[in-house]
This record gives sequence, C-alpha cells and structure tokens, in this order.
Amino acid sequence: MERAVPHAVPLGQMEVFQALQRLHMTIFSQSVSPCGKFLAAGNNYGQIAIFSLSAALSSEAKEESKKPMVTFQAHDGPVYSMVSTDRHLLSAGDGEVKAWLWAEILKKGCKELWRRQPPYRTSLEVPEINALLLVPKENSLILAGGDCQLHSMDLETGTFMRALRGHTDYIHCLALRERSPEVLSGGEDGAVRLWDLRTAKEVQTIEVYKHEECSRPHNGRWIGCLATDSDWMVCGGGPALTLWHLRSSTPTTVFPMRAPQKHVTFYQDLILSAGQGRCVNQWQLSGELKAQVPGSSPGLLSLSLNQQPAAPECKVLTAAGNSCRVDVFTNLGYRAFSLSF
Amino acid sequence: MSSESSKKRKPKVIRSDGAPSEGKRNRSETEQEGKYYSEEAEVDLRDPSRDYELYKYTCQELQRLMAEIQDLKSRGGKDAAVEIEERRIRSCVHFMTLKKLNRLAHIRLKKGRDQTHEAKQKVDAYHLQLQNLLYEVMHLQKEITKCLEFKSKHEEIDLVSLEEFYKEAPPDISKAEVTMGDPHQQTLARLDWELEQRKRLAEKYRESLSNKEKILKEIEVKKEYLSSLQPRLNSIMQASLPVQEYLFMPFDQAHKQYETARHLPPPLYVLFVQATAYGQACDKTLSVAIEGSVDEAKALFKPPEDSQDDESDSDAEEEQTTKRRRPTLGVQLDDKRKEMLKRHPLSVMLDLKCKDDSVLHLTFYYLMNLNIMTVKAKVTTATELITPISAGDLLSPDSVLSCLYPGDHGKKTPNPANQYQFDKVGILTLRDYVLDLGHPYLWVQKLGGLHFPKEQPQHTVIADHSLSASHMETTMKLLKTRVQSRLALHKQFASLEHGIVPVTSDCQYLFPAKVVSRLVKWVTIAHEDYMELHFTKDIVETGLAGDTNLYYMALVERGTAKLQAAVVLNPGYSSIPPIFQLCLNWKGEKTNNNDDNIRAMESEVNVCYKELCGPRPSHQLLTNQLQRLCVLLDVYLETESHDDSVEGPKEFPQEKMCLRLFRGPSRMKPFKYNHPQGFFSHR
Repeated sequence: MERAVPHAVPLGQMEVFQALQRLHMTIFSQSVSPCGKFLAAGNNYGQIAIFSLSAALSSEAKEESKKPMVTFQAHDGPVYSMVSTDRHLLSAGDGEVKAWLWAEILKKGCKELWRRQPPYRTSLEVPEINALLLVPKENSLILAGGDCQLHSMDLETGTFMRALRGHTDYIHCLALRERSPEVLSGGEDGAVRLWDLRTAKEVQTIEVYKHEECSRPHNGRWIGCLATDSDWMVCGGGPALTLWHLRSSTPTTVFPMRAPQKHVTFYQDLILSAGQGRCVNQWQLSGELKAQVPGSSPGLLSLSLNQQPAAPECKVLTAAGNSCRVDVFTNLGYRAFSLSF
Repeated sequence: MSSESSKKRKPKVIRSDGAPSEGKRNRSETEQEGKYYSEEAEVDLRDPSRDYELYKYTCQELQRLMAEIQDLKSRGGKDAAVEIEERRIRSCVHFMTLKKLNRLAHIRLKKGRDQTHEAKQKVDAYHLQLQNLLYEVMHLQKEITKCLEFKSKHEEIDLVSLEEFYKEAPPDISKAEVTMGDPHQQTLARLDWELEQRKRLAEKYRESLSNKEKILKEIEVKKEYLSSLQPRLNSIMQASLPVQEYLFMPFDQAHKQYETARHLPPPLYVLFVQATAYGQACDKTLSVAIEGSVDEAKALFKPPEDSQDDESDSDAEEEQTTKRRRPTLGVQLDDKRKEMLKRHPLSVMLDLKCKDDSVLHLTFYYLMNLNIMTVKAKVTTATELITPISAGDLLSPDSVLSCLYPGDHGKKTPNPANQYQFDKVGILTLRDYVLDLGHPYLWVQKLGGLHFPKEQPQHTVIADHSLSASHMETTMKLLKTRVQSRLALHKQFASLEHGIVPVTSDCQYLFPAKVVSRLVKWVTIAHEDYMELHFTKDIVETGLAGDTNLYYMALVERGTAKLQAAVVLNPGYSSIPPIFQLCLNWKGEKTNNNDDNIRAMESEVNVCYKELCGPRPSHQLLTNQLQRLCVLLDVYLETESHDDSVEGPKEFPQEKMCLRLFRGPSRMKPFKYNHPQGFFSHR
C-alpha cells in the first residue's frame, strides 16, 4: 500500500543529530506540579522538561503550547523517577536525588536546591534510583533502586534514617500502604516485600513467580510495577498482572495481558495499566478488560493522573514511554493530543 | 433751352467786341466769361427779393397784356392790330425782363452752388489735413514707444559687477571721476573694460590651442615609438620561451590562459579568476585550466537575444501551415530545447589534488540561455580502483557531489526564471538532462558569483566576485573532504563485502579484543526498498530518508541469531552520521517497537556516534559503527536471561565481563564498553 512520504527537509549536522536524539528518547518519569497546571517529564538523557498543561488544554492551544515551557539538564544519567511535594520537585536517576523549587523552575531558573546521595555499599558502579516514595506522615522520602535497599531520608534534615535490606536484586517500584503505614517494594528478584516503617523490618514477602497462575517464566520473574489500595495490591512485570489480597497473600484475579506491564495504578473503580505495547489498558476489578486506548509510543513506562484539587480543568491522564512524546488523555476513552520534547 | 439760347443771344446784344467766328462753345464760354463777369457783378448788386417782386409784377403785366390782346383779338377791329402790336411789343419787353430775371436767378443759383462747393472743398481740405496730422501723430507715438523700448545689445552682456569693475579696471578705462556721476559714461566704461578683457582672453585661448597642438604632435611621435617597440618585445618573448621552460616558470602559459579567459562568459570568468587566486594564495593543489574552442566563443559575440520570442513567433507560423508540416514539429521542438540548453563552448576545469594522489576533476559549464552554471565531476585515483559492487554509487559522477551542502541535490535549476523558459519548450525539469549537461548545484552558482534570490525571478543576475570569493575556500575544503571520505568508504566497502570489518589500529581501543559476531553480508538497497522495510518506519517518518541518500543492508550473524541492519548513508558523511535501524531474528523477531534493548542498541550506534568517529577526518565512523554493532549483538545474546522452563544450556555462554546484567525500569543490558578495564556497564 502506498504510504505518504513526508518531504525530506535538507538537514545539516545539528538537525540530524537532534532528530536522532529525539527518535531515541525515552521518558521514564512524570510528575504533576502542586498547583496542578504543569507537568514535569524526565528522560533518558537526564533532561527534565516542564509542560504547561493549562496552556495545552486551553481552547487557544497552538503547536507551541505542546512544547515544553522550559527544558534543563537535571542529571548526568537518566531521570528514572520523580515525585512532587507541595513546593518541591524531587528527581532521582543515577544514584542521586535532587530537589528543585517549583516556583523557581516555572520562572525558568533551573538551579537545584539540594542533592543527596544515600550511603551506598559498593563503590564500583553507582547504583540507580528507580523509585521515589513520599511518606507524608513522617515527612520522609523513600528511595529504592540499584543497590537492593530501601533508604529513608528525612526531608527536613536530609539525613538518611534507615536502610531496609532484604531484596536480592535491584528494586523496581515502591508503593505506600497508608493505613499501617507500610511500604511495598517490588524487585528484579521477583518478590514483593512489605516493610513496616516504624520497626524497619520486613513484614511480609510475596514471591509472585512461585504462583502458577501468574508466573510466566519466558518473561522472567521481575516485578516491574506495584499499586496498592490498602487491602489489595496489583503487581505485574515478568509475571502476569495480578490482583492480590494482601492479608492472605493470595492472587485473586489474573488479568489476561500478555505484554509485561511497567506501570499500574488504581483509579476510581478501575485499574489502569501500561507497559509493552501502545495501549493504556483499563481493567475492571473482576478481571475484564474494559478498554484499550492506544497511545503514540510503542511502549509505555509511566502513567500519571493529575488529581490536584487546585486545577480541576487539568484533570488528565498522561502517559509516556519509549518516545519523546507524552500522551494526554482528557477522557479515558481516547488520546486527545501529545506533548512532545 | 430757351434760357440758353437767350444767354447766347444776350451776349451778342450787349457785347460788341466779342469774337464771332469761334466755335459756339468757345464763344459762348468766352462770352459767357465776359458776361459772367458783368452779370456777376450785377447779381451782387441787385436784391433778390426785389427781383422776385419784379418777376411777379412782370408776370402779372404779361398776363394782363395777354388778356388785353385776347380781348382785342376776340373783338376784332382795325385798331386792334396796332394795339395788339403795341401790346405785343410790351409783352416782348416783359419777356425780356423775364429772361433776364431767369438768367439772374440762374446765375445766383450757380453762384450759390459755387460758394457751397468752395466751402465744401475747404472743409474737405481741412479734414484731410486733420487726418494727415492724426496719422502722423500716431506714427510718431509709435516711434516714441519703439524708442522707449529699445534695448541696446550692450545690456545682454553680463558685465562684471560695479565693485569688481572699479577694482580691476585700470584707471584710464574706469575713469572713476567721470563715470561715478554719469551712468551713461559708466556703462560705456564698463563696456570698454569688457572688451579689453575679452581681447585678452581670446589671446590666451589662441595660445592654449597652439600648445595643445604641439603636445598632440609629441604624443603621436611617442606612440609611434612604442608601437615600433611591440614587435621587438614579441621577439624577445619568443626567445625567452626555452629559458622559461628550463626554469619552470610558465609565464607564457599563464598569459595564454588569461587571453582565453577574456572570452569566457562572466560567471565562468569570475570562477576562473577566483579559483586561480585561491589556488595561488592558499592551496597549491588546485589547478585551473580553460578548455574549449575560443573561435566558437568569438563567433558567439553577438549576445543571445530572446531566442524564445523568435521561437514563439515561428511556432505560431508553423501552426498556421498545413498538415504536412506536423511530423517535423516534434523535431523542431527538440531543436528548440537543444537551443535553450546550449552550453558556452568554453569551460573551466578545476583539478583538486588530494593527499593520497587522487584527483577530483571538475568541469564547469555555462548554459547561456538559462544563465546557470553546471559541473561535471570525475574522480581519478593514483592506482586503479576495483569497484566493489556496493560501492557503485559512491564515486559515480552523478552522485559524488550530491548534497555537498545540505539539501543541494543539483537536480533542479536554481534560477527561478528558467521555469518560464522551460514551459515554452516543454521541458518539465532539468533533471532529465543533468547527465548530459552536468549538475546545477547551488554552490556552483555561488562560485560563479551568481546569486538567485529564492522564488523571485530576476531579469538580470550578474556575476559577482565577492560572492564567489566568500564561498571558495569552504567549498574547496568540502570538496576535498568529500572525495577523501568517498575514497575511504570505497576501500572499506571492498573489505566489508568480504565480511571483514576493517577497524584501524587507532580505533581498536573502542572494542573488546574478542568479537564473535560476524558481518556476513553488505549490499546496497534501493531507496524504495528501504522505505518498504517494516522496521525503518520511524526514520522515514522523521524525514531523514530522502532520495539523495544511499541505502545499504548489513547482516550480522552469530549462531542462530541474525541481525539485519538497514543503513542510511547521508551524502554528507562523515559529518552527518550513518543511521542504523535493526531487526533481530532470534527467538522471534525483535525490533525497536517490541524490544527496548534493540532500541538501546540503535541508540548506541546512532546517538553516541561521536565516540566512534575516530581520529579526524573521521573516515572510520561507518566501520566503527559496524564493529560496535557486532559487539552489541554479542552482549545482547550473552546477557539474555536464561529461561528456566526450557531445557538445555544457554546458546551463548556469557563471556563478557559485566557488572550488572539489568538496570533501570526498562531492564537495559550493559551495552557500554569501558576501556581499558574491558568490562561492560550501563550508560
């Protein structure tokens, strides 16, 4: 079938290089600003771009509104995870966590407020930080990643209070169980571990790959994504996406998704997941696939729901992954448009 | 009548001395004159009113007498005859009186008339005099006005101003005492001075003229001398030719070239001058020559008029002629096309010599009617090149200079005005003729000093030296790098086709010592085939796969794994890197769509190419990229996690030293090679 070929623009060396960079860009992490109007996205080159959601969603949006307001080089390595407090943007990648003031960034003054490195055991290679988790009750930040430990850092003083050891391979994802408070972590070793923050001990371990319903040995045993709703937990990755009842540690529903999922979250009465494959999948709790909405990237790595109360008009779902684009879904049924680096 | 006769008679009676025998008139006249005098006098004396009374009385008497005669006659009687006679005599006397009175009346009348006449004549005379005088007055007035308006010629002369006059004029002319008071004298003096000055100046003029004549004669003499010198100098030059050759200073040759250069059309001339200058000043490896027939160029001296207009006229003529003309119409259109695309008989040849003794021959032509320049290129090497199959296009004259500057593909005419000319003769685009005519690259136009502003057809674009000079150095350097990189690629392709990736010793450090994956195939593919591949869609969509690029397919194998790599080679290699897109066939088909690691491998080769450039002038880029690809495949296959459910050992045991096998949310493999420690890590 004939395909319309785009007109080849005469490209100099700079343009070719930039085009190649954009082609090979991966956006690993997203974070919504406290006011809800801006979205930060971090990519594999260590850059963070700030998009103005309110401008892009407004009725006079032009092509430039879909480009970043400001882009700055945050880290030397990829920015694997980001999280926002009510004034700061915290980003982590190659072994360090840095903090930025949202107010400063929005004025295009991109200077880091502080940077901290958790105490690592090995010095040969700097381990990456794959997940950041805020614990509002303690005002602390939990980091987890390449050195197989969870580090807990006090946000006021910046000291690392404790390190939780237990994983045998690097940690992919974290989730917070509000009530207890407990932290769940999933890692490359295929286990989901629950930790009690007060006692700093491992409370429960679920080895997902050992359960036959969900294990998929040809994909591996790694747990790529976690989400919890206090009693319930959903996790996926190498094994199939499964909903677990935490107290009894039993898998209740296995979602029939072949591709490994990289991000999962609870939303209202649905479970949203995304991973390899273009689509954002919406699941009923019963295990039925409600909808599959295709995005623009060949694989998705992160989903972000903007539920900030201050900006109800910017209530959107954004998805990003193996491309330079962030898909914006205003309505979960279809992709509205894409922001692009 | 009776009065006249009575007049005649009366003078007879009264004058006694009148001349009787003259003509009646004369007599009457003289008599009348005599009478006139006396009767005249009588008239003056008598009173007209008394004469009137007398007349009345006489008439009365006559009437009475007649009546008495009547009476008497009627009565009859003897006395009557005497009485009648008496009365008849009395009436005769009365008749006489009447006659006299009549005469007097006539005379009076005549007198009156004469007087009137005289008076009238006088009046007429006065009148005439008056007229004459008036006429003279008018005449005099006219004369006066004429005199008053009279402008003397002397007022037309621009005299020097008074102050100057008094300053400059010698005192015997200016005569200040006299002239100050009397303006008439003053003007006279000034006129005098004017005359003096003019005489002096006329003198001077004559002198200068004679000087000029003298000098002209001298010039003539000298000219003759010089022209007699010319043949002597020529003979000296001839004699010195062998000496020049002996000393390797070919001035004569250069001189001949300059002679021929005079017949070049302006853009070629600009190119020739600038290139020669550049060659002499900066770059000894550049040599410039002019080829072609000078006589033909001279024959073209008449500038080509709008041959298109002539053609359109003849076109119209032909259309009106009969059918039997039609078969030749196509031929005539062809001729018109040929005419439009005609080249100037002279061309400029530039030879660029590169370090390895290969030479780039550039021949520049000028298309006269289109006002553009084209170039034909040829690369010759010191040693005979065996062309590997895949390297066919690298050095082909058609494409070796393509896209020297980004986007300059040389298939379209750079002069927007040409489109209108093409429409007239049915040429769609210049692309069909470039093989024959040469490529009209933009840099060629710039070297010839021709600047065509985009989309605005200008009628006269003239060749500009500064434009050419500013582009000369960059273009020459680009040409050299282009030739050298193409030759390097040529050599590399020969090696690649045999399955060997030629890595030079100074680039060995980029790769580990042992590389197991091998390159088994290296072929060119067509542009359309590249577009049809399923794993190249991203590149096509970004617009990086134009038709000016060269496309290749490489196949790397290890064991059962086959990695296909589609390569886009931009003509601007090696400043613009080749772009690789991969497709791995091993346990299923993996491309950048479904495998993050393949994407990472592509990134390693495409984005991180700067590490692979090697020493300048980075001709090793492509081969280093290919070698890296082999290394990446090795790492990929060896670090693949073993599937516990499947029986048997791993196909590829891990031999590479890696710190960690997986890292990050995408679980990337360690593709980065660290030298000199020799282990693999993640970026």
